[in-house]
Amino acid sequence: MSEDCAAAGDEVSETPIVSVAVKPQYYVTESGLPVGPKPDVEYPLTVLYCGNCGLPTEYCEFYAEHEKCKAWFEKNLPSEFAKQARIGDGKNEGDESKETEDDKKRQKRGGKGLSKPKKKEGGPKKISLSVAPRGRKRLTCVVGLKSYDIDLKTAAKFFGTKFACGASVTGDDEIVIQGDVKDDLFDLLPEKWPQIDEDSIDDLGEVKR
Amino acid sequence: MNDFANNCHYLGTLWHIFKGQATKETTHRFDEKENISGFQQLKTSVQKGIRSKILEQYPYIENCINDVLPKKEPFRLMKCHEHIEVLVGANGDFLFFRHREGFWVPTLRLLHKYPYILPWQQVDKGAIRFVLSGANIMCPGLTSPGARMTPCPKGAIVAIMAEGKQHALAVGITSMSTADIQSVNKGIGVENYHYLNDGLWILKPMK
Repeated sequence: MSEDCAAAGDEVSETPIVSVAVKPQYYVTESGLPVGPKPDVEYPLTVLYCGNCGLPTEYCEFYAEHEKCKAWFEKNLPSEFAKQARIGDGKNEGDESKETEDDKKRQKRGGKGLSKPKKKEGGPKKISLSVAPRGRKRLTCVVGLKSYDIDLKTAAKFFGTKFACGASVTGDDEIVIQGDVKDDLFDLLPEKWPQIDEDSIDDLGEVKR
Repeated sequence: MNDFANNCHYLGTLWHIFKGQATKETTHRFDEKENISGFQQLKTSVQKGIRSKILEQYPYIENCINDVLPKKEPFRLMKCHEHIEVLVGANGDFLFFRHREGFWVPTLRLLHKYPYILPWQQVDKGAIRFVLSGANIMCPGLTSPGARMTPCPKGAIVAIMAEGKQHALAVGITSMSTADIQSVNKGIGVENYHYLNDGLWILKPMK
């Protein structure tokens, strides 16, 4: 009886060992590439993405408009930029001249995949507000939020809840808010989206629909 | 085996789609407005199925599956044209994609967070710019001095790393086993499905 119990106990203790063996562990292959999660690294990793091209920063140099990336770095991450520049000074000076030479010799091919996605032309960032009559009541029309990369749908929802009224996206770059809330918007817009400058908000006054 | 053959066949066209070359207008690539046909809330039974399939396919994901696909939070399916489906997590991130009934392939955004999900293949420096413009990975790029390989069978989903870089730059499927890549050293070694700055990469997280 007691032996049976012991045997059963052994079996039970064996199974987890097997499962541990099956469970993937970290190791390094012959070629030197790691397999599995590194034990001393905490996941998820956070990767630094360039604000200009959206790639991890180490791949910026392969982007068509690397200069702009550099500018972005200088502006937003001065410390990182300095680091990269230092690395660059060390060895890349020679490389760069070689590269340009290389470029001249070589026909550039198949850049379509990496070519820049068409961005809406920068244009003047401007928001115009207008009020239109609608029977006895009024509508407020907000045009130009898109140039600030604001999601129109969420913006409309926000206006609706803020003013307790109807608000909808009516056109490509137009939000119509029911009620005359133009004066409130002058304060609200810069407050909600700090990137909007109050001076860039235009008042068109009363416009006929 | 047949299943795999299908996968190869379908997925071979995938990068074209993200690049936008399968559509008539070659200048357009995978685009939010044009290529997405809708979202779908999945039944929990289907979600479980997908979860177990992913677990089965990528054993290493076991360590982080609860962070990637939490049991309690439902994920959505984004249906796109050309039979592409993308798993969208509860917070709007893209997690996995697949073409028709193919493998679920982790997106690069996910792979950057958990790089150990896939076996790594490292290409040499010279190959980076071609890979970044959507090229398939040729064998010499995987066998040269700067390159390294993790042993893989044919038809495995692999992460493409690069010499001197820390993060993955593409995801692909091996079109021959690594041993063959080493010995043949000619032609396509890994087919490129998804690379940095392609249409799927650019797509903004869904709310």
